[in-house]
Amino acid sequence: MYSKELLEQIFIVENTRESRFNRKIPSLSGEKKNFLLETFHPDFKASAFRTLRVGVNRGDGTVHEIADLLEAFSIFDYRDIDFEIPEAETDVLVLGGGGAGITAALFAESAGAKVVLATKLRLGNSNTIMALGGMQASVGEEDSPVKHFTDTVVAGQFKGKKELVKVMVSDGPQIVKWLMDLGVNFDRDEKGNLLTKMAGGSSVARILSIGDYTGLNIVKILKDEIRNRENIDIFEFSPVVELTTSEFGECNGAVIFDLERKQFFLIKAKAVILATGGSGRLHIQGFQTSNNFGATGDAIVLAYRAGAKLEGLDSFQYHPTGIVYPDHMVGVLVTEAIRSLGAHLVNSKGKRFINELETRDVVSAAMIKECEEGRGIVAPSGRVGVWLDTPVITEKRGKGFLREKFPALYRMFRRIKIDIENQPLLVYPTLHYQNGGILIDEKGETTVKNLFVAGEAAGGIHGRNRLMGNSLLDIFVFGRRAGLSAARRKFNEPGKQTLNHVDKYYKELKNLRITTVAKTPRIFQEFIVVK
Amino acid sequence: MPDKKYVTIFLEGRRIRVPEGYTVIEALWDTGHDIKRGVGCLSGLCGACAVAYLEPGGKRVKFGLGCQTIVKEKMDITVMPFFPSRMAKYDISNMEKPIDKLLEIYPELNMCKSCGFCSVACPEWINVSKVMSYLKDGRYEEATEMMFDCILCGLCASRCPRGIAPQIISLFVQRAIEKDRPVPENLRNRLKEIEDLKDEEIWGNILKMDEKSLKDFCEKVRKESD
Ligand SMILES: Cc1cc2nc3c(=O)[nH]c(=O)nc-3n(C[C@H](O)[C@H](O)[C@H](O)COP(=O)(O)OP(=O)(O)OC[C@H]3O[C@@H](n4cnc5c(N)ncnc54)[C@H](O)[C@@H]3O)c2cc1C
Ligand code: SF4
Ligand code: SF4
Ligand code: FES
Repeated sequence: MYSKELLEQIFIVENTRESRFNRKIPSLSGEKKNFLLETFHPDFKASAFRTLRVGVNRGDGTVHEIADLLEAFSIFDYRDIDFEIPEAETDVLVLGGGGAGITAALFAESAGAKVVLATKLRLGNSNTIMALGGMQASVGEEDSPVKHFTDTVVAGQFKGKKELVKVMVSDGPQIVKWLMDLGVNFDRDEKGNLLTKMAGGSSVARILSIGDYTGLNIVKILKDEIRNRENIDIFEFSPVVELTTSEFGECNGAVIFDLERKQFFLIKAKAVILATGGSGRLHIQGFQTSNNFGATGDAIVLAYRAGAKLEGLDSFQYHPTGIVYPDHMVGVLVTEAIRSLGAHLVNSKGKRFINELETRDVVSAAMIKECEEGRGIVAPSGRVGVWLDTPVITEKRGKGFLREKFPALYRMFRRIKIDIENQPLLVYPTLHYQNGGILIDEKGETTVKNLFVAGEAAGGIHGRNRLMGNSLLDIFVFGRRAGLSAARRKFNEPGKQTLNHVDKYYKELKNLRITTVAKTPRIFQEFIVVK
Repeated sequence: MPDKKYVTIFLEGRRIRVPEGYTVIEALWDTGHDIKRGVGCLSGLCGACAVAYLEPGGKRVKFGLGCQTIVKEKMDITVMPFFPSRMAKYDISNMEKPIDKLLEIYPELNMCKSCGFCSVACPEWINVSKVMSYLKDGRYEEATEMMFDCILCGLCASRCPRGIAPQIISLFVQRAIEKDRPVPENLRNRLKEIEDLKDEEIWGNILKMDEKSLKDFCEKVRKESD
């Protein structure tokens, strides 16, 4: 239920709704877009960045939160671990049980490898299940992988690696087929064709979806499938806390922490796939986040200590529509599909200020501008936002439309007595996605031999901005590629497991007299309830 | 910031005071509980945080998601352990007509007495008991549609007096009926084109382009779709 003050503000939105109806807001020119981004997008806020002093990417700029993560010692003391006796040995070790991890495990197993999968929370509990809107794949008649390629590189401001984008879009239709063979039921049209929807920044309708619960419905099926595989062992509530390397610096396993017994255990493997997802819970630049509790960027720090090159960690995606009110839902995402269907973004004066279908970075920058220039709406918590006028959709498409098309969203607000069909939502950009990550090649391999990365933890694909729906595609495409390539290493001789790379990294830190209090990987953000 | 108001609740049997407006999860954190198992998305999507609670004057225990349930004065709350559910083994990729095997794989479906206990518990407001009747009647599409929003929290299974796990059975059905549908034409055509290496030449060119020509190329291709 909205507070009295907010209800008064909503009054303005209601009064201006009709007059906003038929006004078209033109798309911004390239020049204006750049100016808006440079002035208001968080990626351009110089004071939020600094230069890395250690490791492979020394000299590169990144946000303080990531630099703090990297320029730090481990929270753990590994001296008691006996590196001679791993608890388990396997061909492929997959770390992370989201979409990328499960896919990698399934393909590695299909290719004849023995697989162990260790994950932080319960299997499947990840950003992947939270993906609502859908997944891009060029299956439409008027579409093609080449078109998909152009949309992707343009959105990424030509900073994505062409080779990686190419394999992502070309493997797309095949991955859709694979998912469908497992029983994933993407929405279809009357003719039985796959239904494709439009998304901001895309030139043709290309989003495949399953109601408004796309990620969840895919993960449910992947989980059902993985439980049916003989050669995959799963460890839940077992986050990885360090990788291990051989005397040649090649990756050969990992140190895992058993959250229940509060003990370390060692797994030895011929190839390792890191798929631990993104870093929203680092709350970069103090932003609220849409990410799950476990998204603390662990992969980046572990891979970096092992010597892997990072790419593009100076760019993050702030999704325009994160909830601001009520407090317990701060940061939670309202799917972009709502804007695709015509909902308006409205400031405190009841005015629209941006074409809602611009790419996410541009829309977010425009919203931040409104709020910084005093045209935002202040929630009782002191947080500021603008209105997402959902009732516009009700006016256009009739009563019951939102309820039927977005049951999850409808229900979420119904629980707290807000009716999205008749009342707008207060929103502000929310930290959503890590555009960069650990650099991979087309096989999914990093610059460290036998260390593969798939999913949001990987870098090099999306450049400076990811298109809606490209992440779900990327996790399955590169999950598959990493799984298959890793399985081919099963005749490797992994050698003795060591933490030599960590010692070396520490030495570098000490030589620079970096003595931070920050300890990483974070595993769980110390949770402070601020209200 | 206005003065905080507090409510008194009973959390796992312990009487405590927490600020008004907290969810059950936040109340647990606020009072020093180190919970990892019962948290995930914090958005009502992952089903990790099932709770049971009794409201003052309430006649029966209610169920919900800890990250979505706001504590109220005198609420009596407990966190639900993850409930074991039987998952059958099968290899759906190699089954001819998997849906015909439903009762072989999940014979417990026929033990369901439509008592409705499961429906009462569902935080997604799914009429689980009706889903089960549909499954028994072979109305698979309708049942699947109703279960789209299931987040596998397992609360329904935890309430079933017959030890049935509706969410797991319906997952098999969801997969099985999809496998019976024909491959969509648009997908089939695209796969054929890719197999025939239709765009091979264009790809060759793209990979050779410098940034300037790539920009021009992209602009041209994207215009064509307008
Ligand atoms: C709310 C929301 C909506 C989204 N909507 C869309 C959408 O509509 N379309 C789209 O394409 N993309 C969307 N995205 C982005 C997309 O869902 C994610 O980027 C993608 O699913 C990431 O997949 P992943 O497998 O790499 O990581 P995740 O799915 O996050 O999985 C990572 C897994 O690793 C585990 N883990 C973390 N740390 C460790 C550790 N140290 N050791 C072991 N395990 C660990 C986590 O618990 C988790 O299970 C959305 C994201 C969010 C948050
Ligand atoms: S509780 Fe069990 S027996 Fe009762 S309707 Fe649900 S599934 Fe059937
Ligand atoms: S159907 Fe069962 S498992 Fe699914 S959301 Fe409802 S109670 Fe939870
Ligand atoms: S934490 Fe995921 S549903 Fe509550």
